[in-house]
Amino acid sequence: MIEKAQTRIPVKLHRNVALIQTEDAVLAEELLAHKKMAQDIAGRLSERILLIRPGRVSAVVQELRRMGHTPQVVS
Amino acid sequence: MTSISPDQWTSHTRHTLKRYDETLLRQLAHRLCKPRNQWPVSELLERVVTALNNAAMIDRRLKELPAACRQILAIIGQSRQNRWPVGSLVEIVVALGHEDGLAPLVTLLESGLLLPELHPLGTSPDEEKSSVRARLKSVTTWLSRTEPPPMLLASPQVTRRVHGEDLGIVCPVAPAPEGKLAIHEADGLEWPLRMAVLWQQALGAPLRRTQQGGFFKRDHDRLQADPLLSAAPTDALTLIPDPGFFTAALATSAGMLREEDAELRAGDWPADWKSPLPHAVLRCWHALHEVRAWNPGQGYVVEAARGNPYPAAYLLSLLLLSRLADDEWASPQAIEEWIAARHPYWAGSKRTDEIGIAAFLLGIAYSLRLVQAIQGDAGAWLLRLSSLGRWVAGQTEAAPTIPAFKQTLLVQPNLEILAYRQGLTPELIAQLSKIATWRTLGPACTLLLEPHSVYRALEMGESQASILQLFDSHGMKAVPPAVLDSLKTWSSKRERLSVYPAGAIFEFGTPAEMEEAITRGLPAVRLTDRLAIVPNESEIAYKNFRLTGTRDYTLPPEKCVDVDADGVTLHVDLAKSDLLLETELQRFAEPDTEGMTLRAAGAGRRAYRIKPASIASARKLGLTLSYLETWFSQRTGLPISAAALLFMTAPQAGPVDIRRQLILHVANEHLADGLQQWPSTRALVQARIGPTALVVTEDDLTLLMERLKELGVEVRWEV
Repeated sequence: MIEKAQTRIPVKLHRNVALIQTEDAVLAEELLAHKKMAQDIAGRLSERILLIRPGRVSAVVQELRRMGHTPQVVS
Repeated sequence: MTSISPDQWTSHTRHTLKRYDETLLRQLAHRLCKPRNQWPVSELLERVVTALNNAAMIDRRLKELPAACRQILAIIGQSRQNRWPVGSLVEIVVALGHEDGLAPLVTLLESGLLLPELHPLGTSPDEEKSSVRARLKSVTTWLSRTEPPPMLLASPQVTRRVHGEDLGIVCPVAPAPEGKLAIHEADGLEWPLRMAVLWQQALGAPLRRTQQGGFFKRDHDRLQADPLLSAAPTDALTLIPDPGFFTAALATSAGMLREEDAELRAGDWPADWKSPLPHAVLRCWHALHEVRAWNPGQGYVVEAARGNPYPAAYLLSLLLLSRLADDEWASPQAIEEWIAARHPYWAGSKRTDEIGIAAFLLGIAYSLRLVQAIQGDAGAWLLRLSSLGRWVAGQTEAAPTIPAFKQTLLVQPNLEILAYRQGLTPELIAQLSKIATWRTLGPACTLLLEPHSVYRALEMGESQASILQLFDSHGMKAVPPAVLDSLKTWSSKRERLSVYPAGAIFEFGTPAEMEEAITRGLPAVRLTDRLAIVPNESEIAYKNFRLTGTRDYTLPPEKCVDVDADGVTLHVDLAKSDLLLETELQRFAEPDTEGMTLRAAGAGRRAYRIKPASIASARKLGLTLSYLETWFSQRTGLPISAAALLFMTAPQAGPVDIRRQLILHVANEHLADGLQQWPSTRALVQARIGPTALVVTEDDLTLLMERLKELGVEVRWEV
């Protein structure tokens, strides 16, 4: 047990990542289909995770609000 | 004003004295503690600091000083504000009847009983940046500076010693009517409520400032005509000019609005708002002294460069009222006249208009619950300090207790909230301002629960449960089901989308490792079976992890891909790569598990292969050649590979020709050059396809053979 606690888990760390997590894949598709939003999306990490281009978070949040969403900004 | 503990005062005093020139410090020490020996500077400084905490020594020094010195210290103490501009203190000293307003301040500064503000109160200066040249050498030179205006600090340890000092002023008493008096006292919430309304409005649309310090027309009009901000106060004895502008100026001074990029934006709620009403009123009272863009005489004024007589006048008016006995009343007009006759800003001038002190007392001090009012025999209002006013004016030690009526909200099925003012507190006003939109202010205020207001509250850290708890604890009735449903719908809508502005993603080798990390307490949210995000990096206990690679997404993309000689196989260095790379590669290449060598796989690398089909599908999804060129440059450090360029550009290239040709191979390049140049053979050569290879047509073959024969070149024929 002691040995296990001392083992360090190998991990790769990605710092300062901006992303959107949606409730379902359909919502992610909807966002990607939105032309203005798609410009600020760097890629799709999984069917519910969209990566935001660096430096574009506030623009994305504003656009989401304009689209009628109420995003939960987690920081 | 920030509340400063005795230790902080001592620390601030020490830091300030460290910035004194040695000569000045020795003079100060001589006046304050009269050292018998020639102590080193550091020792002397400690002795001065100790003396300023020694009540007996302070008393001895104060006794030796002129009465004006003790009076101004007493007034600073009674103002409950330890930081004052020199100008206001000079005005107060003169208004007390002393000819020279500056001399007492110089005396106090030279004795160490007042301190110059050399760095902001409550902060620690960078000692190393304090050069010898920047040391304070003369208090009179320092006092004569204009920008920034000099501010003086008085320690509570000192002001407490002269609290009961006779100020030598008498308030003009007005005869009160006979019989039982109807005493009016406001609830003190009018201006806090208006500040809350403005805070809410500034959240949606900040107030834009012009370069001259005024407001842009749209915002000027908003402050002038907004139905809530410009309306007459619910309980005021007179109207004040430009109430909207006053609210903006007060909210800015109180820290509820902050100036940023030439805009007034909603700031954080001051901590005092969590305290009972007296503390919020005290904050308003202190903020009032810093208001420059408004005064009760003229209303809104674009900020004057310097010179503001009103802070001193406000304080004098309250001090005058504090001189009244319990059963005495004063006329606000008489107080205004007293101040106008003695305050150096107005004294001696031939005024025809009012200076606004009566309006301040009836319109602001009354609404802040600082004064009580009765109607005199002629119907005019007479005033005296309320219990809250006596505390604010430093006449009582403990803040008065305001009766509380907790159940004061009525949440209605149409999402409207009725808030009865007698139960409102600053804390409740702050909470309601986050949750709902203010609609009307009156004896009963109304607010409206809206999707965006609930969303705003959730974004500010509230939860559906905390909102309901607020309604339950302050509500007069149970929350209607329709409101519960709306709150639930709006809250759950917010759960649909989460944005992480700067999270730390942990990429694990296996799902089991991720489970293990979460079991060990990693505060992460699962994204995939190997990826988890931590919203705040400071919460990570790194001792549990061995970092195999770190990538910061605020930095430019890193070179982390090698291109094979075939131009289509891409090897990703997993230690350097980032999440964006994977998504980028997936746009135009396919994972290559077959071609991955064991050596490469063991070295933490992953292979992708560009295929004509993968490029074709990427082109359909909008991939451009310039994107691919930039990608190769950023990620491989090389130009786009020829094969990738082929896949990208082939569909746009013209058709290829396939034809039979006769190739003439000559012995060396010179022969080929000569045949291309000599006019007799030049026309017979169709093209040159290599250094020694020329294309000829079958029709010209006979003629070419003759020319070669003529040149003496032997011809061999291969079929």
